[in-house]
Amino acid sequence: MSEAQTIAVEVTAVEEITPLIKHFKLAPVAGGSMPAFSGGSHIVVVMKGAARVHRNPYSLLSPPHQLASYEIGVRRMEESRGGSHFMHDSVRVGSRLEIAHPVNLFALDKIARKHVLIAGGVGITPFMAQLEDLRGGPVPYELHYSVRSPEHAAFLPRLLERQHGKVRMYYDSEGQAIDFDGLLAAQPLGTHVYTCGPAGLIKRVIDTAQGCGWPDSHIHWEQFSAPPVGDAFDVFLARSRISVHVPPDQSLLESVEAAGIEVPYLCRGGVCGFCQTGVVALDGEIIHNDHFLSDADKSKGKSIMPCVSRARCKNLVLDL
Amino acid sequence: MLVTGIKSKPVYAPLRADIRGRYHLMLGLGVGGAALLRVLGEMQAAAPEALGAARVLFVPGAAGFSEGDAAATVARFKELPLSGVRVFADAAALLVEFKSVLDQSLMGTRLYVAGPESFIGRAMQIALQFNLNKDEIRAEELGAPARRVYCIHCRAVTEEVRTNIVSCVDCKRWLLVRDHYSRRLAAYMGVMADAEAPGELPQVREVFV
Repeated sequence: MSEAQTIAVEVTAVEEITPLIKHFKLAPVAGGSMPAFSGGSHIVVVMKGAARVHRNPYSLLSPPHQLASYEIGVRRMEESRGGSHFMHDSVRVGSRLEIAHPVNLFALDKIARKHVLIAGGVGITPFMAQLEDLRGGPVPYELHYSVRSPEHAAFLPRLLERQHGKVRMYYDSEGQAIDFDGLLAAQPLGTHVYTCGPAGLIKRVIDTAQGCGWPDSHIHWEQFSAPPVGDAFDVFLARSRISVHVPPDQSLLESVEAAGIEVPYLCRGGVCGFCQTGVVALDGEIIHNDHFLSDADKSKGKSIMPCVSRARCKNLVLDL
Repeated sequence: MLVTGIKSKPVYAPLRADIRGRYHLMLGLGVGGAALLRVLGEMQAAAPEALGAARVLFVPGAAGFSEGDAAATVARFKELPLSGVRVFADAAALLVEFKSVLDQSLMGTRLYVAGPESFIGRAMQIALQFNLNKDEIRAEELGAPARRVYCIHCRAVTEEVRTNIVSCVDCKRWLLVRDHYSRRLAAYMGVMADAEAPGELPQVREVFV
């Protein structure tokens, strides 16, 4: 992805739907329709702040058959590096943003015999679009949606209206919890499970499904990591022959981009593997924060995902 | 000749127990029973409790498998503490039961199939309807390598084909048996061998024996 391929959009609606989540509608500045997408897709929103540019991935939650505008839900992150705060505090109706074309890294299995969707908090967003794809179709499906308390149940009115009978709510505040074992031990052959939400929820679903004998090919999950804050470090780009400083609150990818070097990317959240970069030399350790490289590849230290990973070293040389 | 180097030809490997599965469903035909006994033995050694979650559907009567071997194989299945052993007169009867078992089966099931390719193919055809994939199915080819051949002209399936060229059971065209395999049809493709020059056929040889 590069800036040349972005779409200029105007914010046409903003609504605070929970104490933490804002709902935005984005319509093309040039008029016409947005590009088609399938449920589970995300876009990267480019936010040009006063001090720096933020690029954050957000799942599309609008119905895929409705392309006049896209809808996204943005949770205000407590330890925001600025992106979610920018969306919450600086973006209003009439604001202009750039977005990258949708990419789907969390697609529904086309030949599944049943779909079980498990959402935690703002992890509901990719399911909103997937549920529209499933609605009225021949394949059975159900959504298990866990939130802190009723006031945090984003998009629940729309879910109840559009997905009557398919939604089961779990409120932490009322001591309700998903019975993962009971749910995943009793699914018919050909079921696929999908989960999105906090890291603990995702791990719980994966561990429980594996424990019930599910093969990995039936377990789907998506979690965009925000690039973690860390110590500053310096990197030398071997092909460009320049040094780049990576400050604590900026990712390696962002720092390299700020130096004018374009790195191909799709998700900016450690999931897709698109920005994988070769490590030419290193005198310390890489702090791998991605979900893409295998543990074996991480320990080899020959590759880094600059969107979320950092380094603790004096000298890091990258193949860029 | 257009019968070699085709990637769709299935590749099988010796069966191994997969004790990550919670349920184990095993189908065998003839000498395939020996492979199932081997897997059950592996399972007994690695995770004896898994045997109680294993169920066997078996056809003892098959070409190349003596009555004595058949009876001994069934007896050995029955000695093990399995959740069930069912014996069938032929593959068709087994596959009817197989389908109804899958209908009741849960995620976490592993399928093991051992027997001739034509048997494996028809079992896979049913398994695919249940969205079982390669992570959940293991198959070992044992027994006669005769092929099921699908006539691409009249769509009839000719069973038990041992030769490179065969006359279609229905339209009687001479078919060249390709390695091109359809998992959906559980058959190899047969294409008219003498379409360009009627009556001119390559030498007919027994190749699938």
